Amino acid sequence: MSTPATPEGSAPAGTEPSDTSRATVAWTLAGLVVVLGLAALTRFLEQNVPDWSEGTALGEFAAGVEFPVYAIILGLLGNLVLSRAGVRDRLAAAFRTEFFIKTGLVLLGASINLAVLVEAAGPAIAQAFLLIVLVFGFTWWLGGRLGLNDKLRALLASAVSICGVSAAIAAAGAVQAKKEQLAYTASLVILFALPSIFLLPALAEGFGLAPQVAGAWIGGNIDTTAAVTAAGSLVGEEALQVAAIVKTTQNALMGVVAVALTAYFALRVERAPSAKGHALRSLWSRFPKFVLGFIAASIIASVYLNSVGADQGEAAIDVVNDLRTWFLILAFVSIGLEFRVAPLKEAGWRPIGLFASATVFNLLAGLGLASWLFANVSIT
Amino acid sequence: MTDTDAGAGSEDDGQRSRRWRINEDWAATVVGLMLLALVLAGVVPEGLVP
Repeated sequence: MSTPATPEGSAPAGTEPSDTSRATVAWTLAGLVVVLGLAALTRFLEQNVPDWSEGTALGEFAAGVEFPVYAIILGLLGNLVLSRAGVRDRLAAAFRTEFFIKTGLVLLGASINLAVLVEAAGPAIAQAFLLIVLVFGFTWWLGGRLGLNDKLRALLASAVSICGVSAAIAAAGAVQAKKEQLAYTASLVILFALPSIFLLPALAEGFGLAPQVAGAWIGGNIDTTAAVTAAGSLVGEEALQVAAIVKTTQNALMGVVAVALTAYFALRVERAPSAKGHALRSLWSRFPKFVLGFIAASIIASVYLNSVGADQGEAAIDVVNDLRTWFLILAFVSIGLEFRVAPLKEAGWRPIGLFASATVFNLLAGLGLASWLFANVSIT
Repeated sequence: MTDTDAGAGSEDDGQRSRRWRINEDWAATVVGLMLLALVLAGVVPEGLVP
């Protein structure tokens, strides 16, 4: 998700390199204005639509619509308008979903008490490990039965079992996949994540799941970290906290899977002996460093809250939460702006069928594991 | 997300994607912790963030 698109026609023949860089900077700044503008509009709508619709037939519905919904819809509309105008790819360097969501998650760490993090860490690691093993194994096996290319199987299995586009990028680096394979894996992730944002909270409510179980289910199932945060927000703050811990744990395990894939493809598929001896370096290079920021924020905020009065502490954390919401809105707007249909049309039905089957398997396995591992976790 | 222009070597693409991911990880960590520090230090007061 993070590789910026090459601007279309940004360097006409005979153009000086400095002109080209100036043009790229100008387009990126323009893209940033678009993202910030749509984010501000999202915040405006989120804060005012419930008041405007109060007392009308839509009042109750509007009160329940939260910022992820506005942000994604506005992002998709912006995508449509910018694509029609032929400028979206030039602006795309500013659509930094990964950066926005990871900054939002670091800030989210500040609202998670260290004690909750420690209590949820055990079940989160167990769930993430079991889900990755089960879902990766199932997807890899079914992909083989459907006759898919090994590299594409690795990308799809990583994306659906770990953390969506980030995992697909890590896996693409590990198995040296083609760029087209990465592009349509990423598109599939977004295509399935968008309805999950609304479907999983609704199902969690329908099943009567406890907040911590709903959070663990959402965190373990929805592929993109941004969508996990969106769905968690829709269920509530407690579910959001557990969902973030579970997803962050999966993110942390991404490095392990990337190293295993590197070794498997180098030694078994391509039979190159050079991959030996680099496991630790590779593990660190692929470890998502923002996880450290998330934990550090939780420690810093917990120490701070213990050292100041409750009122001062809560007021400060409220400001941090407002900043977090802004970064999450920027991420959701970027998801909408980045979504592409073309790679999916080129992919054919088999990768889509595999992804859909793996998603259903993931939902069922995740529900069972979340209900089992998180039933007794306390988040208050 | 990702660009779809074909033709570049897949190894270079993988390297570039990884570099961006790592940079964004550190950038997110630094920006997030800096903002947290500014708020806790009182530099970003209540009411400043809309």
